[in-house]
Amino acid sequence: MELSVDRLTKQYGSKIAVDCVSAVLKPGVYGLLGENGAGKTTLMRMLCAILESTSGEVFWDGREVVSMGAEYRDILGYLPQEFGYYPNYTAREFLLYMAALKGIPRDTAKKRAGELLKIVGLNDVGTKKMKTFSGGMKQRVGIAQALLNYPKLLILDEPTAGLDPKERVRFRNLISDYAEDRIVLLSTHIVSDIEAIADEVLLMKKGKVMMQGSVSELTEKAAGKVWELTVSPDEAKIWQEKASVANLRHEGEQVVLRILSDDKPAEGAAPCEAGLEDLYLYSMSEYPK
Amino acid sequence: MELFKLEHKKLWRKNSTRVCVLLCFFYCVIFGSVLIYQWLTFGSVKGNTSVSRYFDGYGNIRARQDYFHKYEELTDESLQEWVRDYQCLHEAWEEEKRTQGAVSRETDQQYENTGWQTVNSMLRTLYPELERADMRTVRIMSCYVEPEKLTGVYERREQAIEMFLDISGQTGTERDYLLRIGAKVKTPFSWKWVEGWSNILGNAVSGLGSVIALFLAIVLSSLFAGEWHDNTSPLLLTTKNGWRKLACAKVCTGLLFTLELFAMTAVGMIGSQLVFLGTEGWDMPIQTVKMIAIAPMNMLQAEIYEYAFTVLGALGFAGVAMLFSARCKNHVLALLLSMAVVYGPMVVRNRVPALMEKLFDLLPLVGSGADVFRTNTFHLFGCYIWSPYLIIWVPFVIGVLCLPSAVRGWSRRMRR
Repeated sequence: MELSVDRLTKQYGSKIAVDCVSAVLKPGVYGLLGENGAGKTTLMRMLCAILESTSGEVFWDGREVVSMGAEYRDILGYLPQEFGYYPNYTAREFLLYMAALKGIPRDTAKKRAGELLKIVGLNDVGTKKMKTFSGGMKQRVGIAQALLNYPKLLILDEPTAGLDPKERVRFRNLISDYAEDRIVLLSTHIVSDIEAIADEVLLMKKGKVMMQGSVSELTEKAAGKVWELTVSPDEAKIWQEKASVANLRHEGEQVVLRILSDDKPAEGAAPCEAGLEDLYLYSMSEYPK
Repeated sequence: MELFKLEHKKLWRKNSTRVCVLLCFFYCVIFGSVLIYQWLTFGSVKGNTSVSRYFDGYGNIRARQDYFHKYEELTDESLQEWVRDYQCLHEAWEEEKRTQGAVSRETDQQYENTGWQTVNSMLRTLYPELERADMRTVRIMSCYVEPEKLTGVYERREQAIEMFLDISGQTGTERDYLLRIGAKVKTPFSWKWVEGWSNILGNAVSGLGSVIALFLAIVLSSLFAGEWHDNTSPLLLTTKNGWRKLACAKVCTGLLFTLELFAMTAVGMIGSQLVFLGTEGWDMPIQTVKMIAIAPMNMLQAEIYEYAFTVLGALGFAGVAMLFSARCKNHVLALLLSMAVVYGPMVVRNRVPALMEKLFDLLPLVGSGADVFRTNTFHLFGCYIWSPYLIIWVPFVIGVLCLPSAVRGWSRRMRR
């Protein structure tokens, strides 16, 4: 089981949304990190074969996915970033409708819909119309529909958006279990989610994959570049303008800054342990390092 | 099948669908049938104004049907008897008005029971020379015509048809063709109270299509285009059956909904017709409504034709509306285009050349089932075809031809 991406490019006029991305994905959880407009959603839509690429190809076990057609869609589960739904359908009806679209027999679909509603914590409200749902509840229905057909390839575009911390934990556990023998690709702005479950991270910037590796490999790259510096509030304002400040914490009358820098930024700065978020911010930072 | 069932359920779940069905039913059945029978058309006129009426249509209809029981067939004798009877009643009506200043409700009802409107129209068609120029102010010819001059009804009818064809410029082969159809009409005509059937065939059923079109357009314009509005296309596209099978399920849903809307409305209208009019007069030829009609049909056959015309036209229109819905991302644009197909030609039909007017009749729900009363023809491949034969099928065929294009178009558009 392998999804390979070969020099995939998408161009809108003169703007390049995805620029010659190549990668090989094997069973496991892949986290796609990048700022807004980095090309994550465009890349995911091309992987789902719902957006034609300008050049490059996507292969599933060596077969080009567009030519696979329904066979490819049969192994695919997708949660789009903007999850559309039918407001007058109940959650259960929506899942049954999606199951019919996925070609799942009615009896199996009923059983599976019940299971998934339980898994995403919506069993009690399964018969309520979706227009009465909160954003997080709708998102959970979206996650459930993506899992209906036990997809071998699960692509989730910002699945944790709108979920409360408890639901995020539930989701992370669900995906970790699920990805044992399947490929899961998820994008999110919440770095801690990726840090918790992703086996491998792809860091995108301006349509390109800048870095790829496991969480520990990537955080290793940020080692020695994260500093803590305690300053006065007035000095803190100056530091925020001239350096890449990953975090700012008040301690009494002083402010503790977490600064990303190749070199020791100041005399009093102390090195500290780097995390994925530090690497992410370090990579995205426009400041001189 | 499962997908079709769920798609159908989804359509019915929409509030707009339910409101449309309710409004259509209310307009056609409650307003267009029940209230017409009981109040707006067959209720007794209050005072001298025809605007306000009593809510007593059911009783009036029964009384009018009873009045005609004495005439079994339309002959010279029965027509003369009707005119004499009418003139007596008219005299009594005038006398009462002169002496008492107003007419009693009973006298007025007796007068109305004669069904003078249709007979008056019959006299003007068959005996135009008896219409007096000095009596133009008297609208009702039956008031002054001499009964003994009303002879040779059926010969007169044949002459009237020939004269009408001459005036219409229908000569030669076309005229022979139409006269051959007309020759199948059997005489003498069974003659009962006609106005009820005239209302059904001339207004109610023939106007049903243009009402259904509005509600079908509203519901079906969002059938495909609504997916863009709901932003569900990325989901649908990544499912196994998300393209062509879903499009097919949507087409079937649209057609089934059309049949359901039609059936609900038609059943309601037929039900109220049976309650208010019963079945009396079903075997009368349609010529009792319009003397120069050439169709060898009785009232029941004409009603079946008009309902069939409406349902086939509605299915054809559903095909067109679904094509627009599949081709437009915006369901409002799809709605406007669908409505333009029906109401556009209706608006401009009197301002376009005759040929184009005829072609408009071939569009779904633009023509009228009441063409069975007319002598319109189409000239195709050297043959003349009486318009009712063509206008019932062509709109349906147009709709069917739109369906593959709708499925293909939507599948292709979704992938862009």
